[in-house]
Amino acid sequence: MEEDIDTRKINNSFLRDHSYATEADIISTVEFNHTGELLATGDKGGRVVIFQREQESKNQVHRRGEYNVYSTFQSHEPEFDYLKSLEIEEKINKIRWLPQQNAAYFLLSTNDKTVKLWKVSERDKRPEGYNLKDEEGRLRDPATITTLRVPVLRPMDLMVEATPRRVFANAHTYHINSISVNSDYETYMSADDLRINLWNFEITNQSFNIVDIKPANMEELTEVITAAEFHPHHCNSFVYSSSKGTIRLCDMRASALCDRHSKFFEEPEDPSNRSFFSEIISSISDVKFSHSGRYIMTRDYLTVKVWDLNMENRPIETYQVHDYLRSKLCSLYENDCIFDKFECVWNGSDSVIMTGSYNNFFRMFDRNTKRDVTLEASRENSKPRAILKPRKVCVGGKRRKDEISVDSLDFSKKILHTAWHPSENIIAVAATNNLYIFQDKVN
Amino acid sequence: MVGGLKRKHSDLEEEEEDEKWDWGPAGLRSYQQALLRISLDKVQRSLGPRAPSLRRHVLIHNTLQQLQAALCLAPAPALPPEPLFLGEEDFSLSATIGSILRELETSMDETEPPQNPVAPPGPQNEVLPQPDPVFLEALSSRYLGDSGLDDFFLDIDTSAVEKEPAPAPPEPHNLFCAPGSWEWNELDHIMEIILGS
Repeated sequence: MEEDIDTRKINNSFLRDHSYATEADIISTVEFNHTGELLATGDKGGRVVIFQREQESKNQVHRRGEYNVYSTFQSHEPEFDYLKSLEIEEKINKIRWLPQQNAAYFLLSTNDKTVKLWKVSERDKRPEGYNLKDEEGRLRDPATITTLRVPVLRPMDLMVEATPRRVFANAHTYHINSISVNSDYETYMSADDLRINLWNFEITNQSFNIVDIKPANMEELTEVITAAEFHPHHCNSFVYSSSKGTIRLCDMRASALCDRHSKFFEEPEDPSNRSFFSEIISSISDVKFSHSGRYIMTRDYLTVKVWDLNMENRPIETYQVHDYLRSKLCSLYENDCIFDKFECVWNGSDSVIMTGSYNNFFRMFDRNTKRDVTLEASRENSKPRAILKPRKVCVGGKRRKDEISVDSLDFSKKILHTAWHPSENIIAVAATNNLYIFQDKVN
Repeated sequence: MVGGLKRKHSDLEEEEEDEKWDWGPAGLRSYQQALLRISLDKVQRSLGPRAPSLRRHVLIHNTLQQLQAALCLAPAPALPPEPLFLGEEDFSLSATIGSILRELETSMDETEPPQNPVAPPGPQNEVLPQPDPVFLEALSSRYLGDSGLDDFFLDIDTSAVEKEPAPAPPEPHNLFCAPGSWEWNELDHIMEIILGS
């Protein structure tokens, strides 16, 4: 949770509640790698910070491995598209890890327009003993060299270096919202508002367009792609969600252009809840396959839903994240909060799901016991090693001592990005520019 | 359609506790007009140096269409309605919505040839001549800083070579700017130059 101090430019700005924040530090994505050993964060300033879990020491068995900064690098820089006179933000929208195949780690990071493949590798030895160059690194006159000395590898302080191995650019007219690595580990997809492209990791100058929902006439545009993900085991299947609250499952074997879906998931609208904002709050902000591949989870503005892949007409489970906001939609529309895109995550065994809310609250739902809890990620309420206290929002009537009323919620403190360790009960929660890592209490 | 209105009534009543609206027909219309104003303001504000979020635009656009439908279907209240944000009482919303998306397309798309959009029939069933994309480009240049007329002339050059022949210049009141506003005067000036040459 500590950050390296470096010389990057800092762009200070006011948040809505006039508290100062370093805008470049606002975390925009969080992702554990496949073993949970590494945790990557991307921020608005285009930086990636990778944390590594400490090896658990044999002497202190009860002390769980903590996460410390492992590597920091600038992934994306701001750009300017001169043709369209538009700025391209350097903000990292998503990071996805590749499974580890050798000593090095690989991850994909993307901003609105360009995906990059980064290699993160360790160097702990250094060749020494060259005699072809002098101490300043200049080549010596060959005439003065009478012996050939083979350099010897000597240990050095561990250095972690990140190098960009591939840059996948110029394939997206609209803003990239998702990337997803295929289970074949050879391809991945990138999705923007209207199109999804399939890439081969080795080829950067072309990609296959597999979904295109752009209408011939832009005036007819009423729906955009909001998220996309490959099936965890079936390398031919993927899903994408839309701003109208629908999910489509596509099979790449059916045709080259997957404009026709194999399955179409949509819940019929509840007429008693209809309002001008119905469509906006039904817009899906995140879609995630369960680890098992049998379910998908979607997040819209007020709920999290779990769908069985075999049942298209309605979700099998619906969880209310913050239903007390339903009567506030007009204000939330006015202050733009209604457009906030919350993510959702499964735990390793697919038994618990987690998503964020406002006031630095985040929610967990146990699918088996149907119990849920609201927790808060804030410095004031969590000292290291302290146990998180459940929070409660009071909707009306008398407010109990520990409760917080809806009108006191701070809507500038939103938890949009969370991550869950693939096998253990360790979660990472991004609260604006702070990263919180919570672990299960060890008895 | 009356049933539709009824549903909206009951939903808005829920919001009454917080929003403190008066729910007579005038109050309802007032609320809808307020939402309309908020929505149009959002669209204007979001056209900045960064490419706008298409998702946000589409969602606001769809909401605007719902509002348009509601405002057209609602019976006219006894009192004259509050002047709309744009200052034109019989202003055609469909032109606004259409031009918003077209401007978005112009600023975001690559070298795709501009479609000749067919204007959806407005509630007054006007046949709307299409605003030339060049004008919209010039308007959006306001948000990129003061580029003056130089950029505009560059745009004209490009359009002469690449784009399809522009239809007749539209009447000013079909664009989403109010008479007397900055855009109006600029547009007037630009039209004089074109028609004069």
